[in-house]
Amino acid sequence: MKTFFSYGLVKGLIGQVIGSLVGAGLLTGIRALMGLGWKAEPAYVLGAAFGVIGYMIGIGGFRDWFSWARGEETPDVEDIQEKPGLRRYLGYSLDHKVIGIQYGFLSLFLLSVGGTFALIFRTELAQTGMQIVSLDFFNTLIGMHGMVLIVSILMGIAAISNYAVPLLIGARDMAFPRLNAFAFWLAVPASLVLVSAIFTGGFDTGWTGYPPLSLRAPLGMQMFFVAIFFAGWSSILGALNLIVTILKMRAPGMNLLRMPIFAWAVLATSLIALTATQLIGTSFQMVSFERLFGMGFFDATRGGNPILFQYLFWFYSHPAVYIFVLPGLGVISELLPVFVRKPLFGYKWVAMSSLGIALVGFLVFAHHMFTSGMEEYLRVPFMYSTLLVAVPTGIKFFSWTATIWQGRIRFPAPMLFVLGGIVVFLLGGLTGPPLGTVATDLHLHDTYYVVGHFHDTMFGGYIFPLFAAIYFWFPKITGRRMNETLGKLHFWLMTPSFLVMSLGQMAVGMQGMRRRIADYDPAQGFETAHLIITIAGFLIALSVIVFFVNLIISARRGAEAPGNVWESRSPEWAILPSPAPMHNYEKPFRVVGEPYDYGLKGSTYVEIAPQSTGD
Amino acid sequence: MKHLTVAGVLVLISTILVYLLLSNIGLLPVNASVEAQPIDRLFNLHYWAIAFLFSLIVVFIAYSLIVFRRRNGEDGDGQFFKGNDRLEITWTIIPLGFVIFLSYLGSVTLAETRKAEPQPLEIKVTAGQWFWRFEYPEYGIVSDKMMMPVNKQALLKLTSLDVIHSFWVPEFRVKQDLLPGENLVKELRVTPNLTGEYKVRCAELCGTSHAYMESPVIVVSQADFDAWVQEELNLLGADPSARGEKWARNNGCTSCHSIDGSVSVGPTWKGLYELEQQLADGSMVTVDGAYLHNAIVNPNAQVAAGFPANVMPQNFKDTISEQQITDMIEYIKTLK
Amino acid sequence: MSTSSSSLTAYRQRLGINRLGLWLFFLSDAFVFGAFLFTRFYLLDGKRPHLEQSLGLVVTSVLLISSFFMNRAEAQMSKGDRKGFLTSTVITMLLGIAFLVGVVGFEWRLAPFGPADGPEGAVFYMMTGMHAFHVFSGVVFLFIILRNGIKGRYTPERHWAVEAAANYWHFVDVVWIFYYPALYLIGVV
Ligand code: HEA
Ligand code: HEA
Ligand code: HEC
Ligand code: CUA
Ligand SMILES: [Cu+2]
Repeated sequence: MKTFFSYGLVKGLIGQVIGSLVGAGLLTGIRALMGLGWKAEPAYVLGAAFGVIGYMIGIGGFRDWFSWARGEETPDVEDIQEKPGLRRYLGYSLDHKVIGIQYGFLSLFLLSVGGTFALIFRTELAQTGMQIVSLDFFNTLIGMHGMVLIVSILMGIAAISNYAVPLLIGARDMAFPRLNAFAFWLAVPASLVLVSAIFTGGFDTGWTGYPPLSLRAPLGMQMFFVAIFFAGWSSILGALNLIVTILKMRAPGMNLLRMPIFAWAVLATSLIALTATQLIGTSFQMVSFERLFGMGFFDATRGGNPILFQYLFWFYSHPAVYIFVLPGLGVISELLPVFVRKPLFGYKWVAMSSLGIALVGFLVFAHHMFTSGMEEYLRVPFMYSTLLVAVPTGIKFFSWTATIWQGRIRFPAPMLFVLGGIVVFLLGGLTGPPLGTVATDLHLHDTYYVVGHFHDTMFGGYIFPLFAAIYFWFPKITGRRMNETLGKLHFWLMTPSFLVMSLGQMAVGMQGMRRRIADYDPAQGFETAHLIITIAGFLIALSVIVFFVNLIISARRGAEAPGNVWESRSPEWAILPSPAPMHNYEKPFRVVGEPYDYGLKGSTYVEIAPQSTGD
Repeated sequence: MKHLTVAGVLVLISTILVYLLLSNIGLLPVNASVEAQPIDRLFNLHYWAIAFLFSLIVVFIAYSLIVFRRRNGEDGDGQFFKGNDRLEITWTIIPLGFVIFLSYLGSVTLAETRKAEPQPLEIKVTAGQWFWRFEYPEYGIVSDKMMMPVNKQALLKLTSLDVIHSFWVPEFRVKQDLLPGENLVKELRVTPNLTGEYKVRCAELCGTSHAYMESPVIVVSQADFDAWVQEELNLLGADPSARGEKWARNNGCTSCHSIDGSVSVGPTWKGLYELEQQLADGSMVTVDGAYLHNAIVNPNAQVAAGFPANVMPQNFKDTISEQQITDMIEYIKTLK
Repeated sequence: MSTSSSSLTAYRQRLGINRLGLWLFFLSDAFVFGAFLFTRFYLLDGKRPHLEQSLGLVVTSVLLISSFFMNRAEAQMSKGDRKGFLTSTVITMLLGIAFLVGVVGFEWRLAPFGPADGPEGAVFYMMTGMHAFHVFSGVVFLFIILRNGIKGRYTPERHWAVEAAANYWHFVDVVWIFYYPALYLIGVV
């Protein structure tokens, strides 16, 4: 029992419960002093916010910072030796690899939760009429599905970046290890608050939370806002850390153009996450305050304007979609050369295209608002900027194609997912321009076509590369390989089902299927299509279960793989043993070549520096 | 070079096949308005673009995977080449040109969908949770279905009573959100060119019954339209409770209140009059004309027990005339 | 931040990392303030809330002067003048508190509208509230460096915390330089 309570995770949870009670009690107490009675909404909001802070206190996230504030010193992270074992993963570890894996677990957990929501409402949609859930619960489910999975994506990219970036650039850890742990653990209570929205009445607005609907939605809406506010901060702090790490902690000789391409992708992503994310927190905070204090931002009867919210919201949420995909595209660029045994075609161009996408991505957000009734003269300029994104994205595709051309191609599981990702993301990307040209979007907006478009982009740009990354770096994490047969089964089950699902969604969407509806008009004749989509959805879930089984089996009994299993040039394979030791590289290495010169005889990317010159 | 030629030919074949597939499986519903014509033409161009670009990349990749795969027992690396700036510039410039061209076409098409005829038929469209109301100011008619004469442009003035809704008839292609707020009335022009029955389907999530927020849109010949107008005008003379029934339908009351005793979003109207009603604060009232009036113009003042406050629109006193309210009260009185 | 890095070179290297981190944080935070600024112009356009002009001028001057003392405090620290550093920090803190009292204590009371009174109220309370929250946290940071300064934790070579708190203070000050005209000067009542 005593050990149970010493796990950081448990201490955090206790802190969260106490914090919630304190928050809600404080508010109620103040109201009582002012002669007011119990009111649920402010008490819940303050309770949830205090709960998150309570969690961070409970787990010890503030301990070192408070010590600094008192003028005490704390040990250097490099001098901390954490005891190996499961315990590290359940507590406040400062090792970036542990944090990466913690992120990964949270991400996969949320993927299962969010995916399960999808399966429930897909079952409802398999037939017309309402069979298993109520209208309101259906509306809650789609919003939860969307937001839980988006948080899952944010956690997933943080997982890959946290684990891989310091290894790839030869750093001993992240620039701010404490901030790193803090950012991760902040997301845990935030996720709990998010899921709690289901039990506090839900919300019927979808993940976008447009007012005035969100001003009238049940209490669950506020939980959703509080959760995303903190999840947003987690993402901002993580991004800040990654930028500093990449800019300041590279191994000697690794100038920016000799950096592994994945680091470029993370740099571009983090620049977006650092800045744009503030806007989603802010816009949700404004709705929350409008509900709490009657501030007239968005409600026309109070003198506000609902369009304003959409500007603020999409200023984050469009760039966010590039946050979702850029790391995934980086994984594709990183792994392709290894498996085709050829240099990455046009390294510089691929690197710059990430920055290009990130930059142009800031200028296109109003393409979600073509029919919203925003200022009409803005529609055409936003159409131009929207389509402009196709250009840097195209550079990536053409460069990948040229990389594969005349390679010596192998097909282990990670490579399959890379290829699947390319094709699926291509479909998703190509279905973007019809949404971007305003006239066609007038028809397509808020239909299942959009749903198909973004499942394609998110699977192709995130889910497939995520699986590729896990299959690829699993030996580095555990020292064992993942089972190939199960991996192939996973791939061949998931890819065709996914294509059926998303193409089916696009087809019914063009024919007139609206999004976010719990029931559809039988006269439109979509029943068969919806049944097929539902079945495909379940097959995807099955394939994910296969993956989970593989993960567990391989972690215990997979074939041992201590060395450079993929014959990669990258330092984490070429130099480090598997599993990677704490604090990574014993001795610093030096970059002496190009990262992807596969096929160039006698060249290497990195070598151990003969003598550490010290500082 | 041989490889390139073969793959190139395959790309062309595949482009044509994919295009034929896309344009023949009936992806779009019937096209029933003048505004839909340029939009469908633009869709067709998109089919070509998607077919070509998809083929271009997928064929090249698939070709490599098959031809250049590592065969059993083979070892070693692929051809060593690291890039080619001229190639990169090419595939930056050409797509750049193409997207500019596409945007240009997009704006031309958009302009075509917004062409204004000199004398359109004005229809005021009001949306609320979860109903549509159509007003014809020229004739003084209010209706719960939208009648449109064929080949005549309608100018829709769109507004909402509560949250954001979206006006969309898939067969007309065009779509426009309806915003609450007097200063946020939006316009949309539609010229139906094919008679038939369609439905306006609310395309913006607007709460519980969003899925069911559909109303008939009926496109008829000018003669039939005139006949309908006459019929509606005749109805107006009848007795107050018959008028009240019509107002109740047109104002969307019946989407929340049943007249057969079943419970819906709001309390049923059957037997409501002279009922001993319990209120949310626990007190009891006898429902009379004054109570009903108050319940309509100021729904939150006396909330029926077991039902939520804030759900029934608060602004009926501004949007419905006093005459209509009186008629509806007469109507409710008849529902024993 | 302040870990027990032994050598001075290591400390300097760390300083570079910390500085970049801090500036990135400012960049990020600037987007919050930017969002409110955008809101103000979108909702109110050419109007401005009816506020107490003289009070606005006073609090603005107070904040600007406080930045001067903040700068002095930091300069004195780098020169090793611990006494001067402490005095200047105390003055900065007092001016910061005076600003808070002026805005939250007086302006919030004098304003002829509450937060629920239309877009003016919403914009005004949101902007000043968020800014006041930042000033308040700045005062807390100043308090921390003051306490550690009294204990003698900082040396001319090693006083990153002082630098960070000072830069934060200036950042919040710069924000006000945008907010003041947006709320008090631009547009008609
Ligand atoms: C996850 C990532 C992701 C990505 C990468 C994209 C990429 C793109 N998206 Fe998408 N999008 C979403 C996720 C994403 N989207 C989501 C989640 C929504 C819905 C939000 C909601 O409402 O809930 C959405 C909605 C959405 C809309 C609003 C639809 C509506 O609601 O009406 C639009 C409109 O313009 C759009 C456009 C585009 C475009 C033009 C791209 C481009 O970046 C695509 C560029 C790529 C290519 C074009 C393919 C490769 C390029 C070539 C082969 C070169 C040559 C190509 C040409 C010359 C055309 N998207
Ligand atoms: C990464 C993001 C992501 C992912 C992976 C998915 C995955 C899926 N999505 Fe969804 N989706 C979104 C992001 C995502 N979605 C977003 C952002 C929206 C918009 C929401 C909105 O409109 O507000 C949306 C909306 C959306 C809709 C439209 C709803 C509507 O508008 O009415 C539909 C409908 O078909 C759908 C279906 C599915 C299905 C069937 C899957 C399947 O792939 C799911 C497969 C299932 C799993 C991955 C779970 C597997 C795990 C288990 C079954 C548990 C096993 C557990 C253990 C072993 C521990 N999604
Ligand atoms: C969005 C749903 C909705 C619509 C539309 C709506 N109502 Fe209601 N109505 C309610 C709800 C919920 C209540 C119960 C709460 C209350 O009394 O305010 C109610 C209560 C009432 C009552 C009081 C009933 C009682 O038992 O005390 C009357 C009378 C009434 N509505 C008339 C109307 C009329 C007339 C219209 C149309 C012009 C209308 N309603 C439109 C939801 C609606
Ligand atoms: Cu109205 Cu959806
Ligand atoms: Cu977008």
